[in-house]
Amino acid sequence: MLNKNIQDLRTFQKRTLILGMGKAFFSFVLISKLYYLQILNKSKFGKLSDTNRVKIRILYPERGVIYDSTGNKIAENRIDYQITILKEDKNKIKENIKKLSNFLSFSKEEKVFIEKNLKKNSLDDFIIVKKNLSWEELEIFEYYSYLFPYLSINKQKVRNYDNGLAFSHAIGYVGYSTKKKDSKLQELKIGKTGFEQKYNSLLQGKEGLQKIESHASGKIVRLLEAKKSKSGKNLDTYISKKLQEYCFKQLQGKSGSVVVMNVNSGGIVSLVSSPSFDINEFSYGIREDRWNLLINDPMKPLLNKSISGLYSPGSTFKLIVALLALNEIGFNPNQKFFCNGHLFLADHKFHCWKRKGHGLMDLSSAIEESCDCYFYNLANSIEIDKLAEISNIFSIGKKTGIDLPNELGGLMPNKKWKSEKKGDIWHLGETYNAVIGQGFTLSTPLQIATMISRIAAGKKIKPSILRKTQTFEKLNIPLEHLNFVRKSMYNVVNDYKGTAFSSKLKNNKYQMAGKTGTSQVRRISLQERESGVLENQELPYNLRDHSIFAGYAPFDNPRLAISVILEHHGSGSKFAAPFAKKVIDFALKKNIS
Amino acid sequence: MKELIFKFKNLHWTLISLVFFISFVGIVMIYSASKAEGLNPTYSHISKLILGIFIMFSVAMMNINLFQKYAYILYFVGLFFLIYATFYGFVGKGARRWINIFGVNVQPSEIMKIVLILAIAKFFDEKKIQTFKEHLFIIFPILLIVLPFLIILKQPDLGTGLIILSLGFVIFFIVGVNIKFFILCFIIFLISSPILWNTLHQYQKQRLLTFFDPYKDPLGTGYHIIQSEIAIGSGGFFGKGWLKGTQSHLDYLPEKKTDFIFSMLGEEFGFMGTISIIGLFILVCLVGYIISNNPEKDFFSKVVGISIITNFFLSAALNMAMVMGLTPVVGIPLPLVSFGGSSLVMTFLGFGLILSSDLSHKINKTKY
Repeated sequence: MLNKNIQDLRTFQKRTLILGMGKAFFSFVLISKLYYLQILNKSKFGKLSDTNRVKIRILYPERGVIYDSTGNKIAENRIDYQITILKEDKNKIKENIKKLSNFLSFSKEEKVFIEKNLKKNSLDDFIIVKKNLSWEELEIFEYYSYLFPYLSINKQKVRNYDNGLAFSHAIGYVGYSTKKKDSKLQELKIGKTGFEQKYNSLLQGKEGLQKIESHASGKIVRLLEAKKSKSGKNLDTYISKKLQEYCFKQLQGKSGSVVVMNVNSGGIVSLVSSPSFDINEFSYGIREDRWNLLINDPMKPLLNKSISGLYSPGSTFKLIVALLALNEIGFNPNQKFFCNGHLFLADHKFHCWKRKGHGLMDLSSAIEESCDCYFYNLANSIEIDKLAEISNIFSIGKKTGIDLPNELGGLMPNKKWKSEKKGDIWHLGETYNAVIGQGFTLSTPLQIATMISRIAAGKKIKPSILRKTQTFEKLNIPLEHLNFVRKSMYNVVNDYKGTAFSSKLKNNKYQMAGKTGTSQVRRISLQERESGVLENQELPYNLRDHSIFAGYAPFDNPRLAISVILEHHGSGSKFAAPFAKKVIDFALKKNIS
Repeated sequence: MKELIFKFKNLHWTLISLVFFISFVGIVMIYSASKAEGLNPTYSHISKLILGIFIMFSVAMMNINLFQKYAYILYFVGLFFLIYATFYGFVGKGARRWINIFGVNVQPSEIMKIVLILAIAKFFDEKKIQTFKEHLFIIFPILLIVLPFLIILKQPDLGTGLIILSLGFVIFFIVGVNIKFFILCFIIFLISSPILWNTLHQYQKQRLLTFFDPYKDPLGTGYHIIQSEIAIGSGGFFGKGWLKGTQSHLDYLPEKKTDFIFSMLGEEFGFMGTISIIGLFILVCLVGYIISNNPEKDFFSKVVGISIITNFFLSAALNMAMVMGLTPVVGIPLPLVSFGGSSLVMTFLGFGLILSSDLSHKINKTKY
């Protein structure tokens, strides 16, 4: 019995020893794993623990302010209050939105916006649930915020235009970037058109970020650190807010463009294209139905007619023809031609706009009264290539290089162009059309304003929206020739026979010089000529002529050049010239330059 | 009274000090874990701790023979509560395993562990298996184990069930059951494992699968293991400091007051803290071994002592292994540290039994 007990005791001791060894081994495994986790992989798990708790909120930069010439803000920023939520738990986001919609309404677009943001691979750990909160909505949210521990208010500075309609084409608007490199910054807005696009790199600034400690549930605990965003550069422009708004008001209801330019600096004082659209609407994100309305509008509100609208320069082009005649072919300006309302080239009949004819004309009076026949006669001794060359000097057929995107260069035909594009040689009859600014020639209102500036200043003025110091080289044209054209332009407005005499400035202190023009939209058929040309008012709207006036003032000391195009209005002298007079009057009275 | 003071003086104070020290760590950790909820959980824990200590001393003062005498009765009372809890109890953490006695929530499966040890120890103390015919008697202790195991699985509480099963094997092992028995069990397990797999609940299968690849579903079932590993690992050598654990205080770590309290300890006190607490647990086991392995002691005391220590060690080690991703998450608390009254009180009761056996032995020695 004792033996048995001793043996049992031995077995017991042996087995407990084995059990103890098992426990020791288990302990060893535990300690090894702890060593692996806490010593060998400390930094890895440390980082993982940080990515758990530390969330990133991108601080989007404030865009630079755009000022007009006298320091008024054209484009500034407003505070946008947004409700945001941590992007982690989709069910929680849906639940919160559902709960929130009991207090604030969500539009269909807003819901789509949230869905889209959830899918984006943004750097930002927060997504916007609702933006553009009104004060009322903000108050409601603040009141009920205890119900929404996971939602937080974020303030973002977003673009705001003081006058969203008047500056739409000159300044442009901002919108979400579609560039790949910006795809991680989903709320970043970049300049999409106009000045905003051109100077985006200066205006945009640099984003910053906040590191925020968050609770596992998505509640924000505290701010850990912040790197402030860097605001974009503020930019000064030549634009006069006053004049721009005045021009815009005058153009209301019309389709056309006004460009006012400083003839000495090239600064664009006003650049208006009508009809317009609201850049604020675009910058917040335009609704689809509104967008469709704009792109289907026959008056093309989205097109910047000032730099991308192409028109025949009409009779304003005669100024260039006169300069060519004086400068290149040594034409005597006193040479007279008789105008009886038409002339023949071979058996083709060319008409003067005045059917009765102007009678005996010299070069100056032909400009003043815009006699077509005189220029037809001149055309006989004009080489189209020479005309194209001098046109380019005055920026007709050549981009002005303004600091706006999407500028068109228009078209100034020459022989090479004709044979390449039309597969035909140049005909004299086409020169006849060219000298009166019709036919193939196409120009933008800005090009016409630039042409006038160059005539007025005698320098190669380059237009610019951004205020900067520029020097311009002198034109290689003798002063007396320029003076001749300038004087003729003076007569257009100030002589009783001039086509724009009715638009003479009332203030005797200043005089305006200019040239009217009518840009034909259609070819007048022979049949129609015989039965009598239809008056513009009798024609359907889209076949009516464009009314053009281009000029500068004051005559003695040129400051402002203007080009006005009123689409489908009729003759230049009747519509565009009085319009320009009003604008120049206003500008000179308010001392705008 | 004199006898009481004598007994009190002769208690095994080394073991008591170690147990107190671990309990103190528990208070410190629960205070940190429940900081956001205020002081109530800490007070609640301390009150249960006091209850547990009172029970430990009471049991320690009793003669160990008393427990041997009533072991089967205690076992059946425990089994009754367990069955009652399983069918009429209330649900907590996915298992029907709680009953309410005089306003206190009790988890009978914790009681079951101790009474099971007493019952099997009693059986093997009184029934020495020596002949082949007597080998058939082993059916009885097997039933003592399998019955509560199956009931606990029904709750379903896989963690406690497995501990009971392992505990059974450990007792069988130390009392000297033939090695062939264990080999036979292993073969039966292998053959029946596909059937066992099918009887598991969906979430239990999921946990087992998740254990093998927690990163497969990081926001779903693997979340607990991943966050726990991050918490422990990010603690490094010195830890982030008491009350400064980010994983735990920002609630990325789940169940930090109960099953995952060790992860929080790892985060706040680092490798130093985890190694120290493991050291303390090992010391408790060593002291328990020294007490129980005294050759002069009776067989029942020895088996109970070793079994209770093994139960204590198994719970602690499995809990740590679980939160470190070494074993599947099965819901075992860290004894003396985790929040939870039943486990705490029963752990103290267990130590009370060891102290009682030690004291009874000392008294016997002085008598003779």
